[in-house]
This record gives sequence, structure tokens and C-alpha cells, in this order.
Amino acid sequence: MSDSITAAPLQRKRDWPKHVIIWGFILIELFPLYMMFQVSFKDNSSFIQQPWLPLPPNEWQWGNWLFAIKLIGPYLANTVFVAVTATFASVSLAILAAYFFARHKMPFSGLIWSAFLILMLLPSVANIVPLFMLLKSMNLLNTLLALIMVGVAGGQVFNIFVLRNFIEDLPKDLFEAAEMDGASHFQQVINVVIPMSGPIIGTLAILSFLGAWNDFLLPLIILRDKELFTLGVGLIYLDGEYVKPWGQIMASYFLASIPLIVIFLFTMRLFVRGLSAGAIKG
Amino acid sequence: MAPTLSRQKVLREWRLYLFVVPSLAMVLTFAYFPAASAVYHSFFDWSGGDAKQFISWDNFKRAATDQTLLNSFVTIGALLVFNLFKMIPSILLAVLIHRLTSARWQYAYRALLVVPMIVPSLVTLFIWKFFLDPNLGVLNRLIDFTGLKSVLVAINNFFGWGVFFEGVPIGWLSQPELILPALFIWGFPWIGTVGVLIYLAGLQSIGQEVYEAAELDGIGPFKKFIYIELPLILTQVRLSLVLLIVGTLGSYGLQLQLLNEYGGPGGRGMVPGLWMYNRAFVAGEFGYACAIGMVLFVVILALTVINNRYVRVDK
Repeated sequence: MSDSITAAPLQRKRDWPKHVIIWGFILIELFPLYMMFQVSFKDNSSFIQQPWLPLPPNEWQWGNWLFAIKLIGPYLANTVFVAVTATFASVSLAILAAYFFARHKMPFSGLIWSAFLILMLLPSVANIVPLFMLLKSMNLLNTLLALIMVGVAGGQVFNIFVLRNFIEDLPKDLFEAAEMDGASHFQQVINVVIPMSGPIIGTLAILSFLGAWNDFLLPLIILRDKELFTLGVGLIYLDGEYVKPWGQIMASYFLASIPLIVIFLFTMRLFVRGLSAGAIKG
Repeated sequence: MAPTLSRQKVLREWRLYLFVVPSLAMVLTFAYFPAASAVYHSFFDWSGGDAKQFISWDNFKRAATDQTLLNSFVTIGALLVFNLFKMIPSILLAVLIHRLTSARWQYAYRALLVVPMIVPSLVTLFIWKFFLDPNLGVLNRLIDFTGLKSVLVAINNFFGWGVFFEGVPIGWLSQPELILPALFIWGFPWIGTVGVLIYLAGLQSIGQEVYEAAELDGIGPFKKFIYIELPLILTQVRLSLVLLIVGTLGSYGLQLQLLNEYGGPGGRGMVPGLWMYNRAFVAGEFGYACAIGMVLFVVILALTVINNRYVRVDK
């Protein structure tokens, strides 16, 4: 390390072309965000006149945001409900199942494990038609419950896969000590597994949440009533309008991103570290 | 590995099975049952109601001669090649970030890379649709502004394509010939946040001293990539390759939203998944849609098997 400190000024000078290229990539990546933000304060005429530069703040059209809140607000509430419930249920069930696989080698556990693994090969694309018919026969069409159930089922394999490896690597003494004190399996999960695997559970929860938040095909197929629309369907209907009020549309898009902004603000460090530190090994 | 248990212990620990039952029940109901049902119904003429007629292999015979389906496989093949190409920028960016000497900047860039993830994917899709808009879109304005338009028109006149014209905005998503190019440009500069972070995790094991040694030996930046960096991220590259193939072949949400149920003008953006969706939810031919799903499943399975055999992930 001491060598690199002495060599640093020379190195840093040679690093500047890399910085330029990286900034180039990042600026293009951030460009849609910039457009979304500044267009959200414009009406159509000022947008067509000057699409690139933001308006001075005293000319900002806050009406666009009011429109967006009225339009998107109910959809946001539905999506938050679905995403939070599905994430919580999905991760909880996966922790229990992963504990089953990791803790003891029970009869048939190998068989059940392969039943889960084969699912990784099954592309869900072929399932969507029968899934639709299944939900229809269960009377779950046009309900948010259907989205939650399918979301939970879809996340199981990946979550169990990651959590099993993690729980197997926990020190065995902890479980033995807990057992000695008369802890049941469920108490071991609550008092040993969950406190020890905070970061990985957090990472999986964020990924589940993102999955639920970004889903739009299933809601598009399942939901009919406007009161039940999630963000995905709501935005698709907004896109279908003929005359497009771009300012209002962009404000709605931005509003749809805000819950994710809040989540990432709180978990950025965890996410950047967790994903890089091999939370997802090959 | 978890320890094997004696018979008595198993009997005493039977409650442990209760832990896996909820997961298993969910997966059996919402993943295995639909899959089995898809296989079963692909042999039926079925329009979604109670009435259905067994027609043995007719759905598959129809699929074998269905021109739309065959063309859609050509299209998805092209998209697959595009997506393979689109893996490159993420790898390059990860290597560039890793080569920086300042750890603080490395962390800052990582954090900046996560920022675009706050935009819901559907919103990204619509923003790109807006970028590709003929009159208001960023892409056409950029092409006009840089004078690239006249170059395109000149090339067009030279080869006689009949695609680009002076004074007519380019309809990226409305001219059949331009749909594939538009899908190629889509997502520029093709950085996948998760991909870059996973590559960076693979690169972590290379310390600065390796670079210093390489520099003393006079090894250039390109050779450094081939001999030092690429071997270390090969596992991650292969993993993304497998995910990419499965993901690309099965996806159709992009085409559905960017174009329409028919794959846009001339059906040039039609992919197998979209055709399945179209047959089921537009034409009501659920049996035939299940058969298309089966064909697609077999193709994906075959590619995955080939992948696992020839593109080994060694640990």
C-alpha cells in the first residue's frame, strides 16, 4: 500500500483519460433522468420550443405534478401494497425453506431440492397462458392477490438458492448452542439465522421489490378495474393517449420513480457492497 | 453440507418439513401446474372455455409451417446477436473503473451507476420510445444537428434503399426497415448496472501490485485486459451469457410496448413470445399458444444445454 501512495500523483495524472470515458458513459446513462426532471415542469409549447434546457424556476408548471399525483397516486398505492407484501412473503418463505435445506439432510430433501432447481430451467414465458387460465379458475383474475401469489412463487427458487448457501456457511456452534438452550427450529430461525444474515436478506428483498415494482406484463393481462391498476398498467394506458401532454407524462414518470429513490437512498451502501461482495456468486 | 440424520432423529425432527411446505406449495401451484397444463393443452384445440378438442400433433404441424413464427425466430436470432454485442460496454466500463488508482473514485462511480436503477424499467422503455419519436425525439434532433442526416441520405441514394429522405423525419418505429436498427440502438450505451457490479466483484481479486508488475514488464493496456482481467471475469461473463440467452429468447415485453401486439409495421419486430401472446390474448387460440410456448421452451432448453456443455463455468 505504501508504494501506491508514493506513486499516486504520477498515477493520477495518467488516470484522467479513464475518468473522461467513464464520465461519458455515466452522463449518457443519467441523461434520461435529466430529461424526465426538466420536461416535467414544461407545458407542450415551451417543450417544443426548447426541449433541452430547463425553464427558469419561476416559470415551472407545478400543475403537471398535481396532475401526476392525482393520476398516479392510486396506482402508486396499489403497487406499494403489492410490492411490499410480495417481498415480505417471498423472503420469509424462502428463509424457512433455505433453513430446511441447510440445517439437516432430511429424507427426500435432495429430491425436493432438485424440484426447485429444475424450475430455473423452465422459462416462465411458456407458462403465462396456463397461468392466466389457472388464475381464472381460482377466481383470482382482476385481484391484487394474484399478483402477490405469482410474485412470491416466482421469487422462491433464486432466493432459496442464495440463502441456502449462506445459511450453510454460518458457524454450526451457534445452532448447537441454541438447541442446547431448548430453542425450537422456528426460534433458531428468528434468533440465529435472521440476525446473522441481515445484508443478504436486505439485498434479496431489494431485488424482489424491484422485480415486483417493474412487472407490467402480468398486471396488464390480469387487471381490468381501474381502481386496481398498478403503475405498469397505469403508465401503459397513459402512453396510449393520442395527444401527449409531455410535461404531465414526464411528471408521472418521475413520480413513479420516487419510491425507488427513497429506497435506494437508504440502502445504497448495502446494495453496492452486497452485490459486489459476492452476494451473487456464479 | 448439512449432516445426514439417523432414523430416530428424523422422526423427532419431522416438524422441519413444515418449513419447506409453503414454498413448495407455491411453486407447485404457480409454476409446475401451469407448465404441466401447457404441455397438456398444446395437444388441444382450445379457445379458453370448457370446450376443447384433442387434435394430437396438429398444433405443432401448424407451427412448423407458420411463416410468422419462423420469421419471428430469425428476428429473435438477430436480437440475440445484438445483445451479445451489447455485453461489451459493461465489461469495458467495469475494467476501466477497476483500473483507477483511487479507491474513493471507484466507490463514487459504483454509486453513480446504481442511480439509473431508480427509474422503473417501464419508464425507461417509454423514455426511449420518446427518444425515438420522429418529430420530437432526441435521436432525430441529434442526427439533424450533427449533419449525419445528409450522410445517411447520401448513403441511401447511393445504394437505393429508399429509407432515408431529405426533409422527412426518420420514423424509427414506424418504418418496417428501421425496426431492427431501432431495437439495436435501444438502450445506448448499453450499460447494465447489475452486470458492471458483478464484473467488478470478479475483478476485486486483482490488486494494484499486479498492475505495477505488468507496467514494469511493459505490458500495454490491451494485453493487460486479455491476460490479467478477462480470465478473472470469465465466470461472470459466462453467467451473464446464460442469463442473457434465456432472457432474450423469452422476452417480449419490450416489443409489445414499443411496437404493438403485431410486432409493429410489417411485423418486423415480431418475436416468438409476442406471437404466443398474440395468439392467446388477441386471437383466443389458447391451445395453439401453448404449442408455441412448448416450441420456444424446447429451443431455450437446447441452447441452455449447449451452453452448459461448451461454455463450462469452472470454479
